[in-house]
Amino acid sequence: MLLRTFLLRRLTTTLVTLFLASLLVFAACQLLPGDIGRAVLGPFAAPEAVAALNAKLGTDQPAHLQYLRWLGGVFNGSLGVSLSHGQPVAPKLWAAMAQSAQLALVVVGLLVPLAMAAGIWAGLRKGKLVDRVILLTGISLATVPDFVTALLLVILFSLWLGWLPVSGPPDGAGAAETLRHLILPALPLVINLFGYIARIVRAGVIRASEADFTRTAILKGLPFRIVLLCHILPNALAPTVAVLATQISNLLGGIVVIEALFNIQGLGALVAQAAKGRDYPTLQAGVLTMVVIYGVVTLLGDLLQLILDPRQRERPGG
Amino acid sequence: MTRNTRLPAPLLTRLRDAFGRDTRADLWNVALDEHAKGYLDRRNLLKYAGALGIGSALGVTGLLGSTVPARAEGKPGGTIRVGLGQPTAAFNPVLLTDSSSIGVLSQVGEYLILDDAENGLVPQLALSWEANDDLSEWVFNLRPGVKFHDGRDVTSADVVATFERLADPESGSSALSAFRGLLSKGATSAKDPLTVVFRPDVPNANFPYYVSSSVVATIILPADHAGDYEQSFIGTGPFRFDSYQPQRGISFVRNEEYWGEKALPDRVEIRFYDDQQAQFLALKSGEVDVIPEVNSLTSTVEQDPALRVLAVDSTRNDTIHLRTDSAEFKDARIRRAFALAIDRDAVVDGLYKGRALKGNDSIFAPIYASSDPGVPQRNRDLAEARRLLGEAGVPNGFKVTLTTERAYSIPEYSVLLQNQLKEAGIEIELNLIPQDAYYGKAVFGESPWLDSTLGITDYGHRGTPDLILNATLRSDGAWNSAQFKSAEYDALLVDYAKARDLAAQREAAGKIQRLLLEETPTIITYFNKFIRFSSRRVEGVRFTAISHLLLARAWVA
Repeated sequence: MLLRTFLLRRLTTTLVTLFLASLLVFAACQLLPGDIGRAVLGPFAAPEAVAALNAKLGTDQPAHLQYLRWLGGVFNGSLGVSLSHGQPVAPKLWAAMAQSAQLALVVVGLLVPLAMAAGIWAGLRKGKLVDRVILLTGISLATVPDFVTALLLVILFSLWLGWLPVSGPPDGAGAAETLRHLILPALPLVINLFGYIARIVRAGVIRASEADFTRTAILKGLPFRIVLLCHILPNALAPTVAVLATQISNLLGGIVVIEALFNIQGLGALVAQAAKGRDYPTLQAGVLTMVVIYGVVTLLGDLLQLILDPRQRERPGG
Repeated sequence: MTRNTRLPAPLLTRLRDAFGRDTRADLWNVALDEHAKGYLDRRNLLKYAGALGIGSALGVTGLLGSTVPARAEGKPGGTIRVGLGQPTAAFNPVLLTDSSSIGVLSQVGEYLILDDAENGLVPQLALSWEANDDLSEWVFNLRPGVKFHDGRDVTSADVVATFERLADPESGSSALSAFRGLLSKGATSAKDPLTVVFRPDVPNANFPYYVSSSVVATIILPADHAGDYEQSFIGTGPFRFDSYQPQRGISFVRNEEYWGEKALPDRVEIRFYDDQQAQFLALKSGEVDVIPEVNSLTSTVEQDPALRVLAVDSTRNDTIHLRTDSAEFKDARIRRAFALAIDRDAVVDGLYKGRALKGNDSIFAPIYASSDPGVPQRNRDLAEARRLLGEAGVPNGFKVTLTTERAYSIPEYSVLLQNQLKEAGIEIELNLIPQDAYYGKAVFGESPWLDSTLGITDYGHRGTPDLILNATLRSDGAWNSAQFKSAEYDALLVDYAKARDLAAQREAAGKIQRLLLEETPTIITYFNKFIRFSSRRVEGVRFTAISHLLLARAWVA
């Protein structure tokens, strides 16, 4: 019962957010200086050339008509045609999402085990040297912007040692090749997020290990392994899941700087390029996809949290 | 002007004798005399031969010694990998404007004439061209035996269709700004399958430039071209289309049916980059061989033994406009004072480390054969600047806002100007805005580019000065941001366009140059070289100052 209400409420909020986002993006596009024909053809193009292109693209019509036409298209399952490239937006969008998802997968695959292990270790050794080292390292790494880390890594691993390529995976690359091309782009993000995730895990572990149920379990004489796996971790990980969900949706939504630096044609790159070229249909579809991803991933995170921590289901409005 | 590369007298005589009796021979003789006197260097002589359409007929390139590497220099095979920026639109030769698309389409598309950075007009699909006496008709003879990539022959019907399409306002072609007032729809016709006749709206001795690669959209396409170029990428070029992944890259393979010497590389692979830094890292790590210039990195590349900076002269410049109808600049003495306060040497040597040529406040760069080298070069003269300001009633200087684009090295240039002009008492407040915002709607009243009192605008290379002279300074010019209205100037432009021989062109140019120095509606202090970065892995990479990338004679060293 509560779960259904929760789902319904979240779906409604997501839909309203989507609508508002589409409206906002559209309005923002209209406020940008210049027009599409001019953006595509360049400042020195003849006015008649610009007018001809705008007429062809329908971008000479009033903004609200353009918006309604676009919205109608979305409801009919069509995301429209890219204004600058003349191709349907949808395939481009799926291709970009696949690129971003690949990168996100590598990041999560590296980040989660590393940060969790470090967080658990630090939590169990609270106040000890290893705890302080992990905390301090995490905080220090997080303060360095990811593009700086990225450049340093590129200089070290690509330019000096020549071990790793500087660009994202080429088309048709196999799994191993793809991984080789994605490690360098993934590392700066892993390094940046490591401290944050490790801290959340550490806090959860400390809270759970100081809780009454853990003390009771230890007093009952249960082996430490069982106490850790059955009592500490399930309780410690629930808040971590929510934090991870937010970070994963950020990763899927595209990391513009990292994607640009490693020439990965992900969602971030697609949206940035669309904004530059006044390609409204692509821009809107891209931003809406980001909103949907954010909604879905955080929803999944919340659901997972509910499953991990039954107490939350009792909370009113859960 | 270089004067140390004169041809030996016997060769001059041979060149004179080699050509039969017609108008062109007279024009050519004037040029040879100028060369013999030392007024015209070798390269400009060659360029001029191209403009007359006699370069290939005389074999001038061979006689003068071409700088194009001969086939023997390179070895066939291999792949040339190029990094370019993301094209801003779908590939479409008719709408072609952005430099990345020009680089891509250079692999498959060809022109009647290639405006080569080093050799001037080089015949491509046209073998020769000639105008009648009053320049009202230009006849182009096409190269026989040229085939499109789909196997069809190139005939005059294709050339006529190409130019009729470009001159049609409905097409929205990017050639329209260049063609306005010069080549209208209906002015191109076929005389026979290999002869095309152009009847321009007005006489213009530089007409061949307008149907050359100088107007990038004039790639010759099949007569039945109906848009959707990305389905075929059909042209006549040394490479033919292989595969295309939107936003990621495109590849080409050698065209074995090519009319000329077959391309050396087996393949050309072009990758697109959103980010200049990524592009540079790709070059540095060896993933690509050639990339466009990254402004701030030229010195770094020069010092890197694995990389090289390739440069060609161009007329690319950042023009300063002073609005002649504004309170600040309505007095020509103030405009001259402004120009005299600028230290051009500091700009060329400091900002561009010598990778630029000094400008003299008009588009007549030293690389145009028609520029009059006798016009004195304007240099910094603070005392004269102060004197002029005093005479104009503003001895203590004045304040003015400089509006310009935050792009290329314009912000640095602006700060340099701000510091230099302060010494003459002119205080500049900077208003740096994004490039899009600066150009605005690109019409008067809705564009800081065209409306600002004082502005700086980037202008790309032009094969001939006409377009800039007409658009930026003629009284009714579409880009006349200085609001310069001068009947004298307008009349001189007509003289310049009509002038057929080099001496007459130069005379008209000299008058225009002197008038513009006197009036100073615009200030041009430098012409940047057009630069590409390449790895030393490849040799023979060539390009034009308007982004054509010529890879047929490139090879992996």
